Amino acid sequence: MKGFSAFLKKEFRELIRTKRLLILLCTALIFGIMNPAIAKLTPMLYEMMSDELAAQGMTIREITVTAADAWAQFHKNMPLLLIVTLILNSGIYTAEYSGGTLIPLLTKGLSRSAVVLSKYMAMLLTWSAGLWLCWGVTYFYSGYYWDNSAVHSLLFSGVGWWLFGIMLLSCNAFFSAFANSGAQVILGTGAVYFIMMLLQMIGKIKQYVPLRLTESTALYQNSLKPSDCICAVSVTAVLSVLFLLTALPLTRRRQI
Amino acid sequence: MDILEVRELKKHFGSKTVLNGVSFSVPEHCVFGFVGRNGAGKTTTMRAILGLLKPDGGEIYVCGERVRAGKTAAAGTVGFLPDVPEFYGYLNAREYLTLCGEITGIPSRTCKSRCDELLKLVGLDHEKHRIKGYSRGMKQRLGIAQALINQPRLLICDEPTSALDPVGRKEILDILREATAQTSVVFSTHILPDVERVCSRVALLEGGKTAFSGTIGEIHALKAGTDLELTLTRAEDTEKVTAAFPNSTVSEGRILFPKATDRECAELMAFLSAQQIPIMRLERHEADLEDLFMEVIGK
Repeated sequence: MKGFSAFLKKEFRELIRTKRLLILLCTALIFGIMNPAIAKLTPMLYEMMSDELAAQGMTIREITVTAADAWAQFHKNMPLLLIVTLILNSGIYTAEYSGGTLIPLLTKGLSRSAVVLSKYMAMLLTWSAGLWLCWGVTYFYSGYYWDNSAVHSLLFSGVGWWLFGIMLLSCNAFFSAFANSGAQVILGTGAVYFIMMLLQMIGKIKQYVPLRLTESTALYQNSLKPSDCICAVSVTAVLSVLFLLTALPLTRRRQI
Repeated sequence: MDILEVRELKKHFGSKTVLNGVSFSVPEHCVFGFVGRNGAGKTTTMRAILGLLKPDGGEIYVCGERVRAGKTAAAGTVGFLPDVPEFYGYLNAREYLTLCGEITGIPSRTCKSRCDELLKLVGLDHEKHRIKGYSRGMKQRLGIAQALINQPRLLICDEPTSALDPVGRKEILDILREATAQTSVVFSTHILPDVERVCSRVALLEGGKTAFSGTIGEIHALKAGTDLELTLTRAEDTEKVTAAFPNSTVSEGRILFPKATDRECAELMAFLSAQQIPIMRLERHEADLEDLFMEVIGK
């Protein structure tokens, strides 16, 4: 436990001093501001282009923007934030395994499980901070300009993305147990995503695939209810735990 | 009790056999030199001792406890200085040592004084910069400090002096010698004068096996006879001497008397004096580690 907390402290220092946390939080903040801003600016953009469009024979009538447009932007930007998080964290295990920085600490009694878990905890906290910052800023501004209550399952759509991200972070820990570089870890995580996309095409198992948690638009329109996602939430949680737990013995066996 | 015992250690990587029965033991409070050519398997042996690598055969005991791969030794047992120690560049020396102390479980107040003590020992007490700006020698010294933070009973150093200039080498060797008051030191190297300078026991690794293991005294005993080397003032006297001493050989203007006893040495001096042969130099060569090393590796 002492190894875990000491190493976690070091992880946070690393996040701050290597500016990884700053990059992630800035990205989240920019997305958070952009989501309502783009929705707000859309009518103005169309107005600016109206002459050009009129020349092409298109007439623009008055466009009404609602909170749903801001949240649609949130849904579009979430994959980008997740990719930024995954790329920033892709090498956090492999760089230590191959760089030799862990060796002095391991010989002092630090357990490999403590390394895996404290790094996982750091990833989890940064992802949570980034996602909820973006969600919070979007919620505040779209509530300020329009009415959030017109959009359904707002909190659950955030939770869905959050859980989905956690699962991919568990994938990161899992692939890092045997991969040699951050690029290999990203490839592995990408492969998991691709397999899920294929599985989602099969109608019968669609409701079990974790990707269902990212269908925010359907949630906003109430065509998908949080209660329909229970199976996907359970599968995502089980997969996250499984990936992480499998990473522990694999890392113990790894030659460092 | 032996602090470290290695029995018949074997390891191969693919078809390449690196260790093929390495055995040696290290008693308490001794500096143990682990000598071998580059690629002889010194680092592999050390990594196996630390439990970082799974051997294919053999047993390792540290403080009487069997080492198992992937499992870390009990805190306070072992300290390790890798050949090229890598640290977190964004920390400074004190922060890094504090991290090491926390991992070992030293109480925070003790940890602070221990860090002060060690930073002073390795001469980094006034260094405030982050590690990424450190020179190789500074990293090596910080490496020793981190290895000693938990007051280990066994300190393992993998080629600590190989990449350093003479001043840096001397500093590291002095620190290691000082450390033996509290701990046993095993250090691998291919720099033989370093071994003779600080070690009390030596193991020679060749062909994946321990070719020799014993004290420095035993090495000298093994090569009992000393060589004599004679340089004459006049080259024309050479024949006279070689005729009188058929064992001698001539090489580059010098006459060599291999494994000459004290009596033979006295006879030579008596002969030179009787024949009034002027000499430039008469020198005795003590058998050293290098001779033994060369003999073992067959060169």
